[in-house]
Amino acid sequence: MNAAPDHLSGVEQSGATDDSLQHVHEHLLHHKPEKPHGYSATPLLLLGLMCTVVFFGSIYLAHYSARFDPLAYNENAKPSSGKIEPPVVTPAMLGRRVYNNTCITCHQTNGQGLAGVYPPLAGSDWAQGSEERIIRIVLHGLNGPLTVSGKEISSAMAPLGTVLKDDQIANALTYVRQEWGNNAPEVKPETVARIRAETASRTQPWTAPELLKLGN
Amino acid sequence: MNSPAQPNRSEQMEIDASAKWPVLVLFGSAVVWLILGGALQLIAAIQLHTPSFLADCEWFTHGRVAPAAQNALVYGWGFNSALGFGLWLMARLSFASLRHGGWLIVAAKFWNLGVLLGVAGIMTGASTSFELLEMPRFVTLLLLGSYGLMGAWLVTTFTLRNTENTYASQWYLFGAVFSFPWLYTLAQVMLFTAPVRGTLQAVVDAWYVSGLYGLGFVPVALAAAYYFLPKILGRPVANYYLAPTAFWWLFFATAFTGGSRLIGGPVPAWLATTGAVANFFLIVPVVIIALNLFGTLRGAATGSVTVRFIRWSLFAFLAASLLNFALSLRGFAITAQFTLITALRDWLLLYGCFSTAMFGAAYFIVPRLTGHAWRSSALITAHLGATALGLLLITATLGWAGWEQGRMLNHAATSFTDITKALTPWFTAYSVGLMLLTIGHLAFFVNFFWSLGARCPVTGDATPAVFRAPPAMEVPSA
Amino acid sequence: MKNGLTIFAGIFAIVAASWAGLLLTAHRQYGGLAQYVDALDGNAYPLPLSGLADQGRLVYEDLGCATCHTQQVRRADFGADLDRKWGERQSYARDYIREKTVHLGDSRLGPDLRNVAARGYVDGTFLYKLLYAPHSVAPGTNMPAYPFLFDVRRVNPGQASPLALPFTGRFAPPAGSEVVPTRRAVALAAYLLSLKDTYDYPVERAKNTPPAPEKKGEH
Repeated sequence: MNAAPDHLSGVEQSGATDDSLQHVHEHLLHHKPEKPHGYSATPLLLLGLMCTVVFFGSIYLAHYSARFDPLAYNENAKPSSGKIEPPVVTPAMLGRRVYNNTCITCHQTNGQGLAGVYPPLAGSDWAQGSEERIIRIVLHGLNGPLTVSGKEISSAMAPLGTVLKDDQIANALTYVRQEWGNNAPEVKPETVARIRAETASRTQPWTAPELLKLGN
Repeated sequence: MNSPAQPNRSEQMEIDASAKWPVLVLFGSAVVWLILGGALQLIAAIQLHTPSFLADCEWFTHGRVAPAAQNALVYGWGFNSALGFGLWLMARLSFASLRHGGWLIVAAKFWNLGVLLGVAGIMTGASTSFELLEMPRFVTLLLLGSYGLMGAWLVTTFTLRNTENTYASQWYLFGAVFSFPWLYTLAQVMLFTAPVRGTLQAVVDAWYVSGLYGLGFVPVALAAAYYFLPKILGRPVANYYLAPTAFWWLFFATAFTGGSRLIGGPVPAWLATTGAVANFFLIVPVVIIALNLFGTLRGAATGSVTVRFIRWSLFAFLAASLLNFALSLRGFAITAQFTLITALRDWLLLYGCFSTAMFGAAYFIVPRLTGHAWRSSALITAHLGATALGLLLITATLGWAGWEQGRMLNHAATSFTDITKALTPWFTAYSVGLMLLTIGHLAFFVNFFWSLGARCPVTGDATPAVFRAPPAMEVPSA
Repeated sequence: MKNGLTIFAGIFAIVAASWAGLLLTAHRQYGGLAQYVDALDGNAYPLPLSGLADQGRLVYEDLGCATCHTQQVRRADFGADLDRKWGERQSYARDYIREKTVHLGDSRLGPDLRNVAARGYVDGTFLYKLLYAPHSVAPGTNMPAYPFLFDVRRVNPGQASPLALPFTGRFAPPAGSEVVPTRRAVALAAYLLSLKDTYDYPVERAKNTPPAPEKKGEH
């Protein structure tokens, strides 16, 4: 049992008792060590460091927090330019939704219809012609045959007056009249409402000759 | 103790005796988890340069092995060793024996059962995929309950203390022990019980991870440093009167660093900025702690293994703090974020800072519990050497390779094939580093259980530990 | 510091302050972030995930994909995310409210996946091939293969699976066999194909426009 050397002996020796360690440090907690030469710069330097850290930390926080905006991901983003420009919604844009939900099955995305069965809307003389006629077609449906842009069509269209509201019909028609190169005036919801009232008693689909009698 | 006629009695022998089995059980479990977790980590590292390695086996696919390894190391090795060390030190500094230690052993067993189920759950496909909260939900209550029991013991020991004084190590231990249950419970509730929506989940996770490392593991490592340096060197901590400032400042600033992990991400910019400021605030406690502990170390010539491990721990603490601060700055994060440097930061905290401190602590504590010296000093040397080499190699590898990776990622024309090709040699070096560490772990493992076995009559030839009676520390005079 | 209670109360106050200051504040700020209804097409964005994709999200978690892949696109002056065509714009928090769990990830050993479905070459077959034999579509990658997400089985004459992978050459299964994705692989692919943030939100876009270049030397 020789007193083994400290070096890797398999036993770590203590250099102080726990008791004295507690005691000495309790004392040191309240008494700064006296420097032999009187003055220690450490506390002052640390105080300076603390102030610097707090100062620059606050500036950084204020500068790069994007005003604590929850939706700002770029800390450099400029103060929000105020109001977001609301997107300009035209009746044709709203009509596109109606068209895509209701009309697209037969008249197709490109408005070309299906040759001989479903009439084309793009470039169509009916679509760009009298709004009196097309509103009636949408409200009560149509029984073929009819001639569209010189082509013979022999098919029927179902009535949509009970499915669609006045403004939906107006918007959809406006969309059709202004899309695919078509260029005809907007259809107003009031016009639809008026025609709906005038034709309230109608139960049968229209036919082409009936509509053509309406004139422009 | 079964041989009361030992030539030298260590100080506070009764307290060590009361802590013997709970602490040895915790240390023993920790060492087993260290080997297991290290092996899983090595598998995950090998898969980076040899992706076909164990890839056909679903349990060992990279996305499961990597988090399983991390969880095994954090909850298996980390918590067991931290609690073992913490209980022992708290008993020592409170001059109170650990009472009813049997309960602690039961709690430790439940804790380890929970970790085992959790790690197995990750590997069998029940992972939640939230960093460090991957374990399936059914282990949550098991972990919290058994942790609560052990934490309560630590607090009770402190409450029953037979001294007026408290020491810095006790504050840090307390801080670590108190913060974990809050962090864990709140994170569990906000992620699983009543989950928050969208990217808030990432915020909760980042808050938990940075809290676990910064408020849990780092304080335990600091508690070890604050205790063992003056204890072994026999000189008081330099500028100790600054220590309370460092303590409070460290805890306060660390608690707010979480957001910096999400820099540049789809979370409000102020979160990352707050994290950066908090990391900047940490300069103050880091400077004070460096003054305290390096001041104590200065000029000390010692062959003490514990002190050497603690010195590595302190270097890693400084490096990790620096890296944390750098990563929270946008200029650095542009390159370093999402690269191996991010991994290096967490590895430095858990391994570089915390694990080395626990190795040092174990080398001091275990002989006092068993009454026998470590069986092999060659194995101790091997552990220290392997750890030092591994630390340097891995830090250099991950740091350099991570920076290269970040530069290539930011160069849009460089394809991922090229990045992988350029990184492959570095991945290999990383594996070598982990193998070095594994060698050290194996040395530690063998030495630990060999030394435990020394109490059996069959191998009763072990050297009884010879403890020199320590002198009393004196107040440094002017 | 002599009293355990002081430390307990202090630590409690610190954790509570950071919880309230970071998590609770952030939660109150944008925890209730709602879908944005586009006035033009009437859709509420982000569009909800399909049921299959939601199951795929669980496969994504169980396999730990987040270990190597991020799901966040950083803005133009923050890395090369946009240059790499990982997205048309940076990710916003609103993009993520469609998913029950969110995995932003913190490692880019592999590419970002937030907009993986928006890449022209990515479709179901590409993903299946990538998962079954990564080198068949990404030579030189270190992504592991996931053979356990696929069944290699004998082809019933005349009843080849429509999902069988179109492999030729060295990745092809033995003659008479076919590689068919399991249900998990199908779900995972559905999830990955749901990852597409192509809709730009006007509010976020307005708030995150970078400022005019700053004058040098000014703060």
